[in-house]
Amino acid sequence: MSGIAAKLQHSREKAQGIGTNSHAVKYLNQDYEALRNSCLERGQLFEDECFEPLASSLGFNELGPHSSKVRGITWMRPTELCHNPKFIVENAARTDICQGALGDCWLLAAIASLTLNKQVLSRVVPHDQSFDESYAGIFHFEFWQFGDWVDVVVDDRLPTRDGKLLFVHSEEGSEFWSALLEKAYAKLNGCYEALSGGSTTEGFEDFTGGIAERHELSNPDPHLFKIIKKALDRGSLLGCSIDITSAADSEAVTHRKLVKGHAYSVTGADQVEYRGRMEELIRIRNPWGQVEWNGAWSDNSSEWRYVSSDDRQRLANRSEDGEFWMSFSDFLRQYSRLEICNLTPDALTGDEYKKWAESEFEDTWRRGVSAGGCRNYPDSFWMNPQFVIKLDEVDDDDDGDEGCTFIVGLMQKDKRRRRKMGEDMETIGFAIYELPEEYSGQRQVHLKKNFFLYNCSAARSETFINLREVCSRFCLPPGEYLIIPSTFQPNKNADFYMRVFSEKEADFQEIDDPVDCHVEQINIDEDDISDRFKRLFGQLAGHDVEISMFELQRILNRVVTKRDDIKTNGFSMATCRNMVNLLDKDGSGKLGLVEFKILWTKIEKFLDLYRERDVDRSGCMSSSEMRTAVEAAGFSLNNSLHQIIVARYSEPDLTIDFDNFVSCLVRLESLFSESLSTHLFIYFFFLHQCSCIHHMVFW
Amino acid sequence: QFIPSEPPQPRRPLNFTPSNETEEEKQFRRVFQQLAGNDMEVSPTELRNILNKVISKHGSLQTDGFSIESCRSMVAVMDSDSTGKLGFHEFKYLWNNIKRWQGIYLSHDADRSGMICSGELPAAFKAAGFPLNDQLFKLIIRRYSDEHGNMDFDNFIGCLVRLDAMCRAFKTLDKDNNGTIDLDIKEWLQLTMYS
Repeated sequence: MSGIAAKLQHSREKAQGIGTNSHAVKYLNQDYEALRNSCLERGQLFEDECFEPLASSLGFNELGPHSSKVRGITWMRPTELCHNPKFIVENAARTDICQGALGDCWLLAAIASLTLNKQVLSRVVPHDQSFDESYAGIFHFEFWQFGDWVDVVVDDRLPTRDGKLLFVHSEEGSEFWSALLEKAYAKLNGCYEALSGGSTTEGFEDFTGGIAERHELSNPDPHLFKIIKKALDRGSLLGCSIDITSAADSEAVTHRKLVKGHAYSVTGADQVEYRGRMEELIRIRNPWGQVEWNGAWSDNSSEWRYVSSDDRQRLANRSEDGEFWMSFSDFLRQYSRLEICNLTPDALTGDEYKKWAESEFEDTWRRGVSAGGCRNYPDSFWMNPQFVIKLDEVDDDDDGDEGCTFIVGLMQKDKRRRRKMGEDMETIGFAIYELPEEYSGQRQVHLKKNFFLYNCSAARSETFINLREVCSRFCLPPGEYLIIPSTFQPNKNADFYMRVFSEKEADFQEIDDPVDCHVEQINIDEDDISDRFKRLFGQLAGHDVEISMFELQRILNRVVTKRDDIKTNGFSMATCRNMVNLLDKDGSGKLGLVEFKILWTKIEKFLDLYRERDVDRSGCMSSSEMRTAVEAAGFSLNNSLHQIIVARYSEPDLTIDFDNFVSCLVRLESLFSESLSTHLFIYFFFLHQCSCIHHMVFW
Repeated sequence: QFIPSEPPQPRRPLNFTPSNETEEEKQFRRVFQQLAGNDMEVSPTELRNILNKVISKHGSLQTDGFSIESCRSMVAVMDSDSTGKLGFHEFKYLWNNIKRWQGIYLSHDADRSGMICSGELPAAFKAAGFPLNDQLFKLIIRRYSDEHGNMDFDNFIGCLVRLDAMCRAFKTLDKDNNGTIDLDIKEWLQLTMYS
């Protein structure tokens, strides 16, 4: 209940725009302005209780409390480390980031790329902070976490040894934005050590909210050059690198003056006419600001003599600034990997960039109900959450390839999984189906098993992989497509976040069944009841001529325990109380003859349904059988409710026995009938009124 | 005004140890790792076994033991991610509350009957942070007490766990603090089915 409330509130806040970059969620409810003001008033420097300068904030293993690596560390404020500390000197630049004793080069490469785009940087590093005006030892940064922007506050006590910063530091010794940014990101992830090891794309995404693609250049997409050009038009961040084969290779310079194991940025792509054909060129920047490629198309190479003077003037660049051109074919040969971080529309202001259209969804896979596994498991695949995207408009292209380009990113929220420190990342991926015309426009029908047996997929993620995110780019003809995200194997619990970036506006929705109840009312008149039943009732009810929940429990358990075709632990008092409450029209807390007859008829129906749906004759219901049985009983439920039913009523082996089956249906019926009496529930809990608390206490 | 306990901490990596963890908390962490089994989560059956083992050692608590249904319900109201099981922080939170409420139970059982009778109930609930009105006490007695109006230990805990979770759920949704919340049918069903 409290978890559900938090989930509901989260989606409400999202709808109100909380979690966007301009209204970031306050991490651990710490409010930067309020904390700073209160420190200023008290004349004290901020001391963060949520991330204290203790060994455990550093790490748990290599940097753990008893490790030799943390010996001699003291936490000091920049004002204790140097005379005149600065938050940012001039503009934040690549040289502000020098790696310390932590293996987080992936993060630093991402921060370095970030400094190339001032606008994106200023979202992560709010610039109105300093060590001069209103300094109170407190700083804040914003990161993107699974769909929300989070504002993280830190104090400026930094780990040092011998008077020097231990981790990230600026070449300029008195500049501290990068060290404080790293501290804030460490706080968000639990400790500094949690940052060691990762991929640059992860950092890209957490700093931009964009979607990051990886292209392996040994096997490049045939349209890669076009993709790069378009990405540059869209203000995307592009990074490329050359793999190293051994640690000794790191930052080794080849005879062509390229640096291995080093993060470069791609800053341009163009075409020139060269010796009667079109040559594709790509411009790359070494963030060191020096050491440039010396092969074909480099600054002083002879190729530039054979292009038009216009092109030469437009492109040629002779200074030693780290930036250089090379042919696209050389690029593919020399580099190993290209990473493109596509930015969300809100990251880019101004008209100079084209923008992606973006839509997003959060959902969950749960054992036995919505964790259906991949297509290899046809019995459960259909139970996965389903999404539909409608592509209307083809891309603006001049090359005659008609299609709609979109990128799908499926990300698992790993905060639960990280309990075991990433060892337990699920293997995830997705499949895309063309939605046949007969389903066109429908958003209220979760497709069933048969659809997937008789239709094959139109596209799918390149692989199923155990990374935080799988991301693929597609170009498909206009139409409606079904996207099914899943874990590779069924019955793996995980939360996911899925995004679609499309070149043109596209309608992206989750499809789910509507929530509705059409249980048939049972109308029975006293005259309809047989004498035999009346006599039976008389015996059971005793002299008060009514059946209490205690009597009901005895009766039901006497009946069900005799049967060997159904499995049950017997009816609990709670279930019997629910049954009495459902049927008890006169408020006596007991059942009269007609009420009891209606209940009896219901239970007989439940029994028939239970045996009919128990296809494998196991005596109990599997959770997938339950899903269809609930529908047959007259309830249409969405994915969240199906998940709740399994979580609430199933046994550890995901089966549901007869008493829980009945308990669930009785309760559903009561809740629906309760909801019909008023459309909107407003209950006055704290005002000591109790219209609905009655219900909540009694169930 | 009701005072539910502070909400449990957000889920964190289990081996992320809060910096100021005491020796007692560290020990609790070790115990949890033994109780929760391989998946590091506590199921309703595991919860029932733990609770019943603990109360069997307390002679002064009158109880017929926690039923599986009541443990399912406790897990449901505490579960933050609808997996049907409790993680470390949820369980610790539940455990601390139960310890606190056990103290209240014992100190408010004035006649040492081992049970809380209907006369002792209002003071006990008030001490737990829930000064309810008569109408609510009537409902609670009907739902949780035996025919003589006495509430035993498992019902006392079951009732408070629920009341506490309901108050927290309500507070979560009542952001503007005006004492009312709006729910549509889907939200209503999700909230109430999972309790």
